[in-house]
Amino acid sequence: MNNYLEEILLKLESKRPAHAKKLRLNTNYLNELYVSRANDFYSQYEKHLLRENTDLDFSIDCYLRMLDDMAIERMNFLRQGKYSSVSLMEVEKCIYNNPDMMCYHMHGLALAQFLWFDQYERYSFFADSLAGYAKSAESYLEIGCGHGLYCYTAIKLLPENVKFEVVDISDYSIGICKGIINDPKVNFITKNVLEYASNSTFGFITIGEVLEHLEDPLVLLKKLKDLLSDDGISYISAPVNAPMIDHIYLFNEVQEIRDLINQAGLEIIEEKVVISEHVSQQYADKFKVPVMFAAFIKQKQQ
Amino acid sequence: MDKAEILSQLQEIFRDTLDDQEVTLAYETTANDVEGWDSLTHIHLVVSIEKHFKLRFTAKEIQSWKNIGELVEGIISKK
Ligand SMILES: C[S@@+](CC[C@H](N)C(=O)[O-])C[C@H]1O[C@@H](n2cnc3c(N)ncnc32)[C@H](O)[C@@H]1O
Repeated sequence: MNNYLEEILLKLESKRPAHAKKLRLNTNYLNELYVSRANDFYSQYEKHLLRENTDLDFSIDCYLRMLDDMAIERMNFLRQGKYSSVSLMEVEKCIYNNPDMMCYHMHGLALAQFLWFDQYERYSFFADSLAGYAKSAESYLEIGCGHGLYCYTAIKLLPENVKFEVVDISDYSIGICKGIINDPKVNFITKNVLEYASNSTFGFITIGEVLEHLEDPLVLLKKLKDLLSDDGISYISAPVNAPMIDHIYLFNEVQEIRDLINQAGLEIIEEKVVISEHVSQQYADKFKVPVMFAAFIKQKQQ
Repeated sequence: MDKAEILSQLQEIFRDTLDDQEVTLAYETTANDVEGWDSLTHIHLVVSIEKHFKLRFTAKEIQSWKNIGELVEGIISKK
Protein backbone atom coordinates (compact mmCIF):
# COMPACT_ATOMS: atom_id res chain seq x y z
CA MET A 1 0.00 0.00 0.00
CA ASN A 2 1.14 3.56 -0.66
CA ASN A 3 2.72 5.38 2.23
CA TYR A 4 0.05 8.05 2.40
CA LEU A 5 1.19 9.27 5.81
CA GLU A 6 4.64 10.05 4.44
CA GLU A 7 3.18 11.63 1.32
CA ILE A 8 0.99 13.93 3.42
CA LEU A 9 3.87 14.89 5.71
CA LEU A 10 6.09 15.69 2.70
CA LYS A 11 3.39 17.85 1.17
CA LEU A 12 2.93 19.63 4.50
CA GLU A 13 6.67 20.11 4.76
CA SER A 14 6.70 22.08 1.55
CA LYS A 15 3.83 24.30 2.70
CA ARG A 16 4.44 24.69 6.43
CA PRO A 17 7.84 23.24 7.34
CA ALA A 18 7.87 24.10 11.04
CA HIS A 19 4.46 22.52 11.57
CA ALA A 20 5.40 19.38 9.65
CA LYS A 21 8.58 19.05 11.68
CA LYS A 22 6.60 19.25 14.89
CA LEU A 23 4.11 16.63 13.69
CA ARG A 24 6.95 14.24 12.92
CA LEU A 25 8.58 14.81 16.29
CA ASN A 26 5.30 14.41 18.15
CA THR A 27 4.43 11.11 16.49
CA ASN A 28 7.85 9.51 16.30
CA TYR A 29 7.18 7.40 19.42
CA LEU A 30 4.30 5.62 17.68
CA ASN A 31 4.76 2.15 16.19
CA GLU A 32 4.17 0.36 12.89
CA LEU A 33 0.54 -0.32 13.71
CA TYR A 34 0.03 3.45 13.75
CA VAL A 35 1.54 3.79 10.28
CA SER A 36 -0.50 0.94 8.85
CA ARG A 37 -3.76 2.21 10.38
CA ALA A 38 -3.04 5.70 9.06
CA ASN A 39 -2.34 4.39 5.57
CA ASP A 40 -5.43 2.22 5.59
CA PHE A 41 -7.72 5.15 6.42
CA TYR A 42 -5.96 7.65 4.17
CA SER A 43 -6.19 5.23 1.25
CA GLN A 44 -9.94 4.84 1.83
CA TYR A 45 -10.17 8.62 2.17
CA GLU A 46 -8.22 9.22 -1.05
CA LYS A 47 -10.62 7.00 -2.97
CA HIS A 48 -13.40 9.32 -1.82
CA LEU A 49 -11.39 12.38 -2.87
CA LEU A 50 -10.84 10.88 -6.33
CA ARG A 51 -14.55 10.07 -6.72
CA GLU A 52 -15.19 13.73 -5.90
CA ASN A 53 -12.63 14.76 -8.56
CA THR A 54 -10.19 16.15 -6.06
CA ASP A 55 -7.02 15.01 -4.30
CA LEU A 56 -4.84 15.13 -1.19
CA ASP A 57 -3.46 18.57 -2.11
CA PHE A 58 -6.94 19.97 -1.71
CA SER A 59 -7.28 18.22 1.60
CA ILE A 60 -3.97 19.63 2.84
CA ASP A 61 -5.09 23.16 2.02
CA CYS A 62 -8.25 22.47 4.04
CA TYR A 63 -6.16 21.25 6.95
CA LEU A 64 -4.00 24.39 6.89
CA ARG A 65 -7.10 26.58 6.83
CA MET A 66 -8.42 24.70 9.83
CA LEU A 67 -5.11 25.28 11.65
CA ASP A 68 -5.37 29.02 10.99
CA ASP A 69 -8.89 29.04 12.44
CA MET A 70 -7.65 27.15 15.45
CA ALA A 71 -4.85 29.63 16.11
CA ILE A 72 -7.37 32.49 16.13
CA GLU A 73 -9.76 30.58 18.38
CA ARG A 74 -6.95 29.69 20.73
CA MET A 75 -5.73 33.27 21.01
CA ASN A 76 -9.26 34.46 21.82
CA PHE A 77 -9.73 31.64 24.28
CA LEU A 78 -6.53 32.44 26.19
CA ARG A 79 -7.42 36.11 26.31
CA GLN A 80 -11.05 35.68 27.31
CA GLY A 81 -11.19 32.31 29.05
CA LYS A 82 -14.20 31.13 27.04
CA TYR A 83 -15.11 29.69 23.64
CA SER A 84 -16.27 32.14 21.01
CA SER A 85 -19.49 30.32 20.05
CA VAL A 86 -22.34 30.26 22.55
CA SER A 87 -25.42 28.73 20.94
CA LEU A 88 -26.11 25.61 18.89
CA MET A 89 -28.50 27.58 16.71
CA GLU A 90 -25.76 30.02 15.76
CA VAL A 91 -23.20 27.27 15.04
CA GLU A 92 -25.79 25.29 13.07
CA LYS A 93 -26.55 28.29 10.89
CA CYS A 94 -22.98 29.54 10.39
CA ILE A 95 -21.10 26.23 10.25
CA TYR A 96 -23.07 22.94 10.10
CA ASN A 97 -25.37 24.33 7.38
CA ASN A 98 -22.58 26.16 5.60
CA PRO A 99 -21.02 23.74 3.08
CA ASP A 100 -17.95 25.95 2.45
CA MET A 101 -16.96 26.02 6.10
CA MET A 102 -17.91 22.40 6.75
CA CYS A 103 -15.92 21.31 3.72
CA TYR A 104 -12.53 22.58 4.80
CA HIS A 105 -13.23 21.89 8.47
CA MET A 106 -14.17 18.23 7.89
CA HIS A 107 -11.39 17.51 5.39
CA GLY A 108 -8.98 19.15 7.81
CA LEU A 109 -10.23 16.98 10.65
CA ALA A 110 -10.05 13.84 8.51
CA LEU A 111 -6.33 14.41 7.95
CA ALA A 112 -5.74 15.39 11.57
CA GLN A 113 -6.94 12.01 12.86
CA PHE A 114 -3.51 10.50 12.16
CA LEU A 115 -1.35 13.62 12.24
CA TRP A 116 -2.03 14.53 15.87
CA PHE A 117 -0.83 11.97 18.37
CA ASP A 118 -3.62 12.67 20.86
CA GLN A 119 -6.17 11.98 18.14
CA TYR A 120 -4.43 8.73 17.31
CA GLU A 121 -4.30 7.76 21.00
CA ARG A 122 -8.05 8.24 21.24
CA TYR A 123 -8.52 6.26 18.04
CA SER A 124 -6.31 3.35 19.06
CA PHE A 125 -8.06 3.21 22.44
CA PHE A 126 -11.29 2.73 20.46
CA ALA A 127 -9.96 0.36 17.79
CA ASP A 128 -8.04 -1.84 20.24
CA SER A 129 -11.04 -2.56 22.44
CA LEU A 130 -14.16 -2.12 20.32
CA ALA A 131 -14.52 -5.76 19.29
CA GLY A 132 -14.30 -6.93 22.90
CA TYR A 133 -16.76 -4.39 24.27
CA ALA A 134 -19.22 -4.82 21.40
CA LYS A 135 -19.10 -8.65 21.56
CA SER A 136 -22.81 -9.09 22.09
CA ALA A 137 -23.98 -5.94 20.31
CA GLU A 138 -26.42 -6.43 17.45
CA SER A 139 -26.69 -2.76 16.64
CA TYR A 140 -24.23 0.15 16.45
CA LEU A 141 -25.22 3.80 16.64
CA GLU A 142 -22.88 6.70 16.00
CA ILE A 143 -23.80 10.25 16.97
CA GLY A 144 -21.87 13.03 15.24
CA CYS A 145 -19.92 10.97 12.71
CA GLY A 146 -18.03 13.87 11.08
CA HIS A 147 -15.40 12.43 8.71
CA GLY A 148 -16.52 8.88 9.56
CA LEU A 149 -13.25 7.30 10.72
CA TYR A 150 -14.91 5.70 13.75
CA CYS A 151 -17.85 4.28 11.85
CA TYR A 152 -15.51 3.04 9.11
CA THR A 153 -13.47 1.21 11.73
CA ALA A 154 -16.51 -0.24 13.48
CA ILE A 155 -17.79 -1.70 10.19
CA LYS A 156 -14.44 -3.41 9.73
CA LEU A 157 -14.21 -4.74 13.27
CA LEU A 158 -17.78 -5.82 14.04
CA PRO A 159 -19.57 -8.89 12.65
CA GLU A 160 -21.43 -8.70 9.35
CA ASN A 161 -24.89 -8.96 10.97
CA VAL A 162 -24.53 -5.84 13.16
CA LYS A 163 -26.95 -3.05 12.14
CA PHE A 164 -25.45 0.42 11.69
CA GLU A 165 -27.13 3.78 12.20
CA VAL A 166 -25.46 7.19 12.02
CA VAL A 167 -26.93 10.54 13.11
CA ASP A 168 -25.36 13.91 12.42
CA ILE A 169 -26.78 17.42 12.43
CA SER A 170 -24.85 18.41 9.31
CA ASP A 171 -25.70 17.27 5.81
CA TYR A 172 -22.08 17.87 4.90
CA SER A 173 -20.82 15.48 7.59
CA ILE A 174 -23.30 12.84 6.54
CA GLY A 175 -22.15 13.27 2.94
CA ILE A 176 -18.43 12.97 3.63
CA CYS A 177 -18.95 10.05 6.04
CA LYS A 178 -21.13 8.25 3.50
CA GLY A 179 -18.58 8.97 0.78
CA ILE A 180 -15.59 7.69 2.74
CA ILE A 181 -17.31 4.62 4.18
CA ASN A 182 -18.95 3.79 0.85
CA ASP A 183 -21.01 0.96 2.34
CA PRO A 184 -24.79 0.61 1.83
CA LYS A 185 -25.34 -1.19 5.15
CA VAL A 186 -25.34 2.07 7.15
CA ASN A 187 -28.59 3.95 7.78
CA PHE A 188 -27.73 7.67 7.70
CA ILE A 189 -29.92 10.29 9.36
CA THR A 190 -29.37 14.04 9.18
CA LYS A 191 -30.75 15.32 12.46
CA ASN A 192 -29.88 17.21 15.59
CA VAL A 193 -29.33 14.34 18.04
CA LEU A 194 -31.50 16.13 20.59
CA GLU A 195 -34.45 15.59 18.23
CA TYR A 196 -33.51 12.03 17.33
CA ALA A 197 -35.55 9.10 18.62
CA SER A 198 -35.37 5.36 18.05
CA ASN A 199 -37.83 2.52 18.65
CA SER A 200 -35.11 0.24 19.89
CA THR A 201 -31.98 0.55 22.01
CA PHE A 202 -28.41 -0.05 20.79
CA GLY A 203 -25.74 -2.46 21.96
CA PHE A 204 -22.92 -0.06 21.15
CA ILE A 205 -22.97 3.73 20.78
CA THR A 206 -20.08 5.96 19.71
CA ILE A 207 -20.07 9.67 20.50
CA GLY A 208 -16.66 11.06 19.53
CA GLU A 209 -16.07 14.76 20.12
CA VAL A 210 -19.70 15.87 20.22
CA LEU A 211 -20.40 16.80 23.87
CA GLU A 212 -18.50 20.07 23.52
CA HIS A 213 -20.69 21.01 20.53
CA LEU A 214 -23.78 21.28 22.74
CA GLU A 215 -25.05 23.94 25.09
CA ASP A 216 -25.80 21.34 27.75
CA PRO A 217 -23.88 18.08 27.30
CA LEU A 218 -25.75 16.44 30.19
CA VAL A 219 -28.87 16.33 28.00
CA LEU A 220 -26.99 14.24 25.43
CA LEU A 221 -25.56 11.95 28.09
CA LYS A 222 -29.06 11.32 29.46
CA LYS A 223 -30.22 10.60 25.93
CA LEU A 224 -27.31 8.20 25.54
CA LYS A 225 -28.47 6.40 28.67
CA ASP A 226 -31.95 5.98 27.15
CA LEU A 227 -30.61 4.81 23.78
CA LEU A 228 -28.18 2.31 25.27
CA SER A 229 -29.39 -1.24 25.95
CA ASP A 230 -29.14 -2.54 29.53
CA ASP A 231 -25.87 -4.33 28.83
CA GLY A 232 -24.77 -1.90 26.11
CA ILE A 233 -21.43 -0.11 26.02
CA SER A 234 -20.60 3.33 24.72
CA TYR A 235 -17.37 4.97 23.60
CA ILE A 236 -17.32 8.65 24.28
CA SER A 237 -14.64 11.29 23.88
CA ALA A 238 -14.48 15.02 24.54
CA PRO A 239 -11.70 17.58 24.81
CA VAL A 240 -10.83 19.94 27.66
CA ASN A 241 -9.69 23.52 26.90
CA ALA A 242 -9.96 22.98 23.15
CA PRO A 243 -11.28 26.04 21.33
CA MET A 244 -12.59 25.40 17.79
CA ILE A 245 -14.99 27.34 15.60
CA ASP A 246 -17.86 24.97 16.46
CA HIS A 247 -17.17 24.27 20.14
CA ILE A 248 -19.67 25.69 22.59
CA TYR A 249 -19.36 23.94 25.94
CA LEU A 250 -16.08 24.46 27.74
CA PHE A 251 -14.78 21.64 29.93
CA ASN A 252 -12.11 23.24 32.15
CA GLU A 253 -10.88 19.93 33.45
CA VAL A 254 -11.31 16.21 32.90
CA GLN A 255 -13.16 15.70 36.18
CA GLU A 256 -16.08 17.78 34.87
CA ILE A 257 -16.65 15.20 32.10
CA ARG A 258 -16.46 12.29 34.56
CA ASP A 259 -18.94 14.03 36.85
CA LEU A 260 -21.44 14.56 34.01
CA ILE A 261 -21.21 10.92 32.94
CA ASN A 262 -21.92 9.91 36.50
CA GLN A 263 -24.77 12.41 36.85
CA ALA A 264 -26.41 10.95 33.74
CA GLY A 265 -26.60 7.54 35.41
CA LEU A 266 -23.66 6.08 33.51
CA GLU A 267 -20.42 4.57 34.72
CA ILE A 268 -16.89 4.63 33.33
CA ILE A 269 -15.38 1.20 32.68
CA GLU A 270 -12.03 2.35 31.35
CA GLU A 271 -10.67 5.76 30.31
CA LYS A 272 -7.78 7.42 28.51
CA VAL A 273 -6.50 10.95 29.09
CA VAL A 274 -3.82 12.50 26.85
CA ILE A 275 -2.39 16.02 26.84
CA SER A 276 -2.35 17.18 23.22
CA GLU A 277 1.26 18.37 23.34
CA HIS A 278 4.29 16.70 24.88
CA VAL A 279 4.33 19.04 27.89
CA SER A 280 4.00 18.50 31.65
CA GLN A 281 0.61 18.56 33.37
CA GLN A 282 1.73 21.73 35.15
CA TYR A 283 2.49 23.46 31.85
CA ALA A 284 -0.76 22.22 30.33
CA ASP A 285 -2.72 23.64 33.28
CA LYS A 286 -0.92 26.97 33.15
CA PHE A 287 -1.46 27.54 29.42
CA LYS A 288 -4.70 25.59 29.10
CA VAL A 289 -3.25 23.19 26.55
CA PRO A 290 -6.04 20.97 25.19
CA VAL A 291 -6.46 17.59 26.87
CA MET A 292 -8.20 14.63 25.22
CA PHE A 293 -10.52 12.46 27.30
CA ALA A 294 -11.99 9.19 26.04
CA ALA A 295 -13.84 6.41 27.87
CA PHE A 296 -15.84 3.25 27.49
CA ILE A 297 -18.94 3.58 29.63
CA LYS A 298 -21.99 1.53 30.60
CA GLN A 299 -25.26 1.83 32.51
CA LYS A 300 -24.61 2.47 36.19
CA GLN A 301 -25.25 -0.71 38.19
CA GLN A 302 -28.03 -0.09 40.71
CA MET B 1 10.34 52.30 29.47
CA ASP B 2 13.35 52.07 27.15
CA LYS B 3 14.22 49.36 24.65
CA ALA B 4 16.76 47.65 26.89
CA GLU B 5 14.29 47.45 29.75
CA ILE B 6 11.63 45.92 27.47
CA LEU B 7 14.15 43.43 26.12
CA SER B 8 15.07 42.30 29.60
CA GLN B 9 11.43 41.92 30.65
CA LEU B 10 10.73 39.99 27.43
CA GLN B 11 13.55 37.62 28.26
CA GLU B 12 11.91 36.87 31.62
CA ILE B 13 8.56 36.25 29.91
CA PHE B 14 10.17 33.93 27.35
CA ARG B 15 11.98 31.97 30.07
CA ASP B 16 8.79 31.55 32.03
CA THR B 17 6.55 30.75 29.06
CA LEU B 18 8.93 28.38 27.32
CA ASP B 19 9.85 26.87 30.66
CA ASP B 20 13.54 27.30 29.87
CA GLN B 21 15.86 29.44 32.00
CA GLU B 22 18.59 29.33 29.33
CA VAL B 23 16.75 31.51 26.82
CA THR B 24 18.76 34.61 25.99
CA LEU B 25 17.26 37.27 23.75
CA ALA B 26 18.88 39.93 21.58
CA TYR B 27 17.23 42.31 19.11
CA GLU B 28 18.19 40.13 16.18
CA THR B 29 16.94 36.85 17.76
CA THR B 30 14.34 35.03 15.60
CA ALA B 31 12.01 32.10 16.31
CA ASN B 32 14.53 29.79 14.65
CA ASP B 33 17.14 30.71 17.27
CA VAL B 34 14.99 29.78 20.24
CA GLU B 35 14.25 26.17 20.93
CA GLY B 36 10.60 25.63 21.76
CA TRP B 37 9.38 28.81 20.07
CA ASP B 38 6.83 27.32 17.64
CA SER B 39 3.36 28.23 16.47
CA LEU B 40 1.74 26.98 19.68
CA THR B 41 4.14 28.63 22.12
CA HIS B 42 4.01 31.79 19.96
CA ILE B 43 0.38 32.15 21.02
CA HIS B 44 1.33 31.59 24.67
CA LEU B 45 4.10 34.17 24.35
CA VAL B 46 1.78 36.74 22.79
CA VAL B 47 -0.81 36.29 25.52
CA SER B 48 1.84 36.50 28.28
CA ILE B 49 3.34 39.63 26.70
CA GLU B 50 -0.08 41.25 26.38
CA LYS B 51 -0.85 40.55 30.02
CA HIS B 52 2.51 41.79 31.25
CA PHE B 53 2.59 45.04 29.24
CA LYS B 54 -1.18 45.53 29.46
CA LEU B 55 -1.76 45.89 25.74
CA ARG B 56 -3.52 44.05 22.91
CA PHE B 57 -1.98 43.18 19.55
CA THR B 58 -3.97 42.88 16.33
CA ALA B 59 -3.98 39.61 14.38
CA LYS B 60 -1.79 41.27 11.75
CA GLU B 61 0.78 42.45 14.28
CA ILE B 62 1.08 38.97 15.76
CA GLN B 63 2.19 37.60 12.39
CA SER B 64 4.44 40.55 11.53
CA TRP B 65 7.52 40.49 13.78
CA LYS B 66 10.57 39.04 12.09
CA ASN B 67 12.74 39.27 15.18
CA ILE B 68 12.74 40.38 18.80
CA GLY B 69 13.80 43.92 17.82
CA GLU B 70 10.56 44.32 15.85
CA LEU B 71 8.57 42.94 18.76
CA VAL B 72 10.22 45.50 21.09
CA GLU B 73 9.32 48.28 18.59
CA GLY B 74 5.80 46.92 18.42
CA ILE B 75 5.46 47.11 22.22
CA ILE B 76 6.85 50.69 22.31
CA SER B 77 4.42 51.84 19.61
CA LYS B 78 1.50 50.50 21.69
CA LYS B 79 2.52 52.13 24.95
C1 LIG C 1 -15.67 17.12 15.72
S1 LIG C 1 -16.81 16.21 14.75
C2 LIG C 1 -16.54 14.58 15.42
C3 LIG C 1 -16.16 13.59 14.37
C4 LIG C 1 -15.89 12.17 14.88
N1 LIG C 1 -17.02 11.63 15.62
C5 LIG C 1 -14.67 12.13 15.75
O1 LIG C 1 -14.74 11.63 16.88
O2 LIG C 1 -13.59 12.57 15.32
C6 LIG C 1 -18.36 16.65 15.46
C7 LIG C 1 -19.54 16.20 14.62
O3 LIG C 1 -20.72 16.30 15.43
C8 LIG C 1 -21.76 16.84 14.65
N2 LIG C 1 -22.71 17.49 15.58
C9 LIG C 1 -22.54 18.61 16.29
N3 LIG C 1 -23.63 18.89 17.01
C10 LIG C 1 -24.53 17.91 16.77
C11 LIG C 1 -25.86 17.64 17.21
N4 LIG C 1 -26.50 18.46 18.07
N5 LIG C 1 -26.48 16.54 16.75
C12 LIG C 1 -25.87 15.71 15.86
N6 LIG C 1 -24.61 15.92 15.42
C13 LIG C 1 -23.95 17.00 15.85
C14 LIG C 1 -21.06 17.79 13.68
O4 LIG C 1 -21.82 18.03 12.53
C15 LIG C 1 -19.78 17.03 13.38
O5 LIG C 1 -19.95 16.19 12.27
